[in-house]
Amino acid sequence: MHASRFGHFLMFGRPDASVPQLVPAQRDLRIDIIRGLALLIIFINHMPGHVLAGFTPHNFGFSDAADAFVLLAGISATLAYGGLIERKGLRTGTLKILARLRTLYLAHLAVFLLVCAIVATAVTRTQNPLYFEALNVQPFFADLTQGVLRALALSYQPNFLDILPLYIVLLALLPVLYLAVRFSPALALAFSAALWQTASLTGLNLPNAAGAGWYFNPFAWQFLFCLGIVIGRMAQLGLSAPLLRGLDLLAAGFVVFALLVKTASGNPLGIAALDDWIFHIQIGADKTNLGAGRVLHVMALAWLLIRLLPRESGLLRLQALKPLAAMGRHSLEIFCAGTVLSIIGQIVLVETSHALGPQLLVAALGGIILMGLGMFLTWYQSFKRRAPAGSAPASGLPAQLS
Amino acid sequence: MALGSSTTEGSGASSPEKTYPAVLQEELKRRLPDTDVRVINKGVGGQSAYDMLLRMDADAIEPRPSLVIWQTVVNDAIRHVGEEKLAKILRKGISKVGEAGIDLVMMDLQWLPREDRYPKYDDYRAVLKNTAAEHGVSVFPRYAMMKSWARSKQFTEQELVGMDGLHMVDASYRCLAVRLADGIASALTGAKPEMAETSKPTN
Repeated sequence: MHASRFGHFLMFGRPDASVPQLVPAQRDLRIDIIRGLALLIIFINHMPGHVLAGFTPHNFGFSDAADAFVLLAGISATLAYGGLIERKGLRTGTLKILARLRTLYLAHLAVFLLVCAIVATAVTRTQNPLYFEALNVQPFFADLTQGVLRALALSYQPNFLDILPLYIVLLALLPVLYLAVRFSPALALAFSAALWQTASLTGLNLPNAAGAGWYFNPFAWQFLFCLGIVIGRMAQLGLSAPLLRGLDLLAAGFVVFALLVKTASGNPLGIAALDDWIFHIQIGADKTNLGAGRVLHVMALAWLLIRLLPRESGLLRLQALKPLAAMGRHSLEIFCAGTVLSIIGQIVLVETSHALGPQLLVAALGGIILMGLGMFLTWYQSFKRRAPAGSAPASGLPAQLS
Repeated sequence: MALGSSTTEGSGASSPEKTYPAVLQEELKRRLPDTDVRVINKGVGGQSAYDMLLRMDADAIEPRPSLVIWQTVVNDAIRHVGEEKLAKILRKGISKVGEAGIDLVMMDLQWLPREDRYPKYDDYRAVLKNTAAEHGVSVFPRYAMMKSWARSKQFTEQELVGMDGLHMVDASYRCLAVRLADGIASALTGAKPEMAETSKPTN
């Protein structure tokens, strides 16, 4: 796409003055595969001290799997619900989103309860209450009356159980954000960025009884989601990325810069004014309010990926990537299963004194379970599609019984 | 100002009056009847050293206390934040308090009944000890105290750390506070307390 058409799109939500035509929605395997990979990485990262967690992306750049996950959430939510709004109208789209929010909310509560049960069992069996501490569920158990109410209100988020609440808020915002992007991506992004920076500067956040605020501050993270919506909207209109060779170099340069800063032990730039900024980044403290470095980094990665890996690439159809794509396609189920498995994994790691063998076994088993679940759900989905309720096999049964 | 995580907040204590900062206040008032002593509890369960660094200005420095007791590192140890990173965070925090001209005592980690679960626990303790030593800050030797209480059989393990095996309960919060009060009172009055070593980095 020519840069001027891209500029027109940013201002007015369409590449030229004509009424934009939607391209028929097709699955983008890149989204599925990267989402699957991000889910696998989140599973590993949620076991602190795991040997493999030393090799996951957060060690080598500003952004990590969470950033990629939220950006992709924006893209795929736009393709799914934005497409629905275009075809069936805002009301139908919003109702579908509400139904999805209900599913997400119930899934979060179920994971919360399950994780509490696992931790409580572990603490009473092993007499090691640091499991309470590791998840920060001590205040929950100490005051169950308040705890239950706060859990229901999403204002009690134990460690590692903070991504779904963020996603619930973001998806709830989708109709408004989508309409704004549809009207003018530039305007929507400007408002979104203003809110992000306001949150970052004033500390505006939703309450969390288990900490200072939501670990993923939705007022900040909505900006990344909004960027995802813009990318999703471009895909919806069949717009390709503008050919900007300069941006390729800039993106690659930034990724290398992030690698240097993140892996250095001190301030590699030697500029004293940047000491604090680098300290915060190296500690990983720029996450709650979505540090600007994270946004630039994840966008640089996304840009390079879009440029280097076209949608039609044969690489995406490699047999070895099938399980990842299957995981990405059922990200809610895999995310929930991954969270529960990683908590169990944490306990196994501690009980086996972080010996290497059990660590690798936990990672391998967890990976196999998550991939297996993804493949099963994909198969089950196509099975249901082939045999819809009320047709041959299902309807035969009641007839025989009666 | 008692800055810390769950030990300071008082996890496992039967009531707020049984937490270590509350007992410490009573004990100090008893020892220093002519001084207006207040101990303020700024413990938030589950917090890492970095979480506390972020609220240090508001919670520990702006109220201008005479002394900050900083209890930390256990959550960093179990979350494997990395020893180098932890040292950097502690250095920042210690310097902040120092630059404000406020006295600081660091509180060591708790003793754990089964420590091999966390093979790096001692390494993280060493980071606390060494970083404090670098800055000439005293470390209140909680680990050594709890270990000796456990060895001495004065208390059952249950009395010491409670059924949850980690959080000190009323009896040990009390012991902790009494020892701290001894140390602080002696530092202020110059009198030799029964347990002189508690105010110095002995372990």
